[in-house]
Amino acid sequence: MRFAVIVSFGLAAVTLSMNNTASADPAAGEDAFNANKCSDCHYTRGPAREKTIADQLAKKGPELWYAGSKFQQPWLEQWLQDPQPIRNMKYNSVTEENPGGHPKLAAGDAASVTEFLMSLTSSDVEAGIIKPKRHPMGRLIFVKKMPCSGCHQFPGRKFTGGNSGPSLLHAGTRLNPDWIYAYLKNIDTFKPVRAMPNFSGILSDREMQSVAAYVATFE
Amino acid sequence: MAKSKFTTAVLLLVGMLGVVTAQAEEAEQIFNFYCAQCHGVEGKGNGPNVTEDFPVDPRDFTQAEEMEKLSDADIKNVILEGGPIVSKSEMMPPWGKTLSEEQVDALTKYLRKLCNCVGNAD
Ligand code: HEC
Ligand code: HEC
Ligand code: HEC
Repeated sequence: MRFAVIVSFGLAAVTLSMNNTASADPAAGEDAFNANKCSDCHYTRGPAREKTIADQLAKKGPELWYAGSKFQQPWLEQWLQDPQPIRNMKYNSVTEENPGGHPKLAAGDAASVTEFLMSLTSSDVEAGIIKPKRHPMGRLIFVKKMPCSGCHQFPGRKFTGGNSGPSLLHAGTRLNPDWIYAYLKNIDTFKPVRAMPNFSGILSDREMQSVAAYVATFE
Repeated sequence: MAKSKFTTAVLLLVGMLGVVTAQAEEAEQIFNFYCAQCHGVEGKGNGPNVTEDFPVDPRDFTQAEEMEKLSDADIKNVILEGGPIVSKSEMMPPWGKTLSEEQVDALTKYLRKLCNCVGNAD
């Protein structure tokens, strides 16, 4: 009896101390997100708010309300500590290059902010559909049939792509393959006002899946 | 009385000008947001996507002698359906599932302003 009390007391203490040290819970992450002024430039509550071009141009950074469905956790935690430019152009600009210098987080805050951002998921992303694959059909769509390569940097041989969209180099470690497909299929759900055309209906479902699988192989 | 009529006329004129510039501004904003990435903010075909290795030169909208060959219907058609519909490059994207009818009309007028020309077929 006495032994059981000690054991359960001990367990409770262990649980308590785990909660204390590992600040990696979403609520603490949200506090760190706000304390670091991340919320000045990123909104984290869906659904999408942009209705006009002016709404999109007023944004100072990309929306993060579905970050948990879009990004891969290891990439996110690492990037927040050492943020290298993703877009070749400055956000929302077609004339200025990306100056870099995104705010950095220390390892502890990066872990808890990652926990928070990964908790922000969208029910419009179905899991387990897209497996990264160097599909000939996906490749043909990306570099030839459709203008994807005209706006996105990618690991091409001679032509390495355009600059107006986010670079898709490292998309294989940065983006969730299922999100890429969901984005192509329901683009207005995630980005109702964006400089990328809606391809849903122009590409068939199978074509969108194969191009998503192809993009998900980019290193 | 004469004076107040005059004031009304001036106010009306100013109001109309306001509407005209608002529309022009809107077309410019649509163009800069969707088209300038390839065609450039001045429409010369030199947007930030057009690097040395870019496969085809996007149309330079300030070249009247080329733009005259296209009717307004041709312009609308290529914006909606993309380059391949008129046997041009697939690098010219299809915007039919993205832009509204009014936006495409506004863009067509804007391209006519850039080339300062009308279509020969129109
Ligand atoms: C001054 C505005 C600003 C602030 C403050 C800011 N960001 Fe950003 N953030 C941006 C911009 C602009 C980009 C796009 C960067 C790029 O493409 O290289 C970005 C990109 C991101 C991305 C990648 C999103 C994507 O879709 O590519 C994440 C994640 C992110 N920021 C998280 C944070 C966090 C966490 C903080 C707080 C430590 C923060 N940001 C603070 C402007 C800001
Ligand atoms: C006319 C230029 C353009 C074309 C063509 C284009 N995109 Fe995009 N794409 C963009 C822009 C701009 C964004 C970013 C939109 C935003 O965040 O506001 C984007 C975003 C994306 C993203 C998300 C990247 C991220 O990190 O947020 C993926 C994936 C993508 N595009 C894939 C494709 C594929 C596949 C095709 C061809 C079927 C394609 N794109 C064609 C301009 C383009
Ligand atoms: C991804 C780059 C890209 C974007 C974005 C783009 N274009 Fe183009 N556009 C091209 C290219 C390349 C050509 C030339 C195709 C050729 O000559 O084969 C072209 C040609 C054209 C032509 C001439 C077609 C012809 O028959 O000669 C028109 C008109 C046109 N674009 C309008 C637009 C409008 C309006 C927009 C914005 C809604 C736009 N484009 C966005 C790349 C682009």
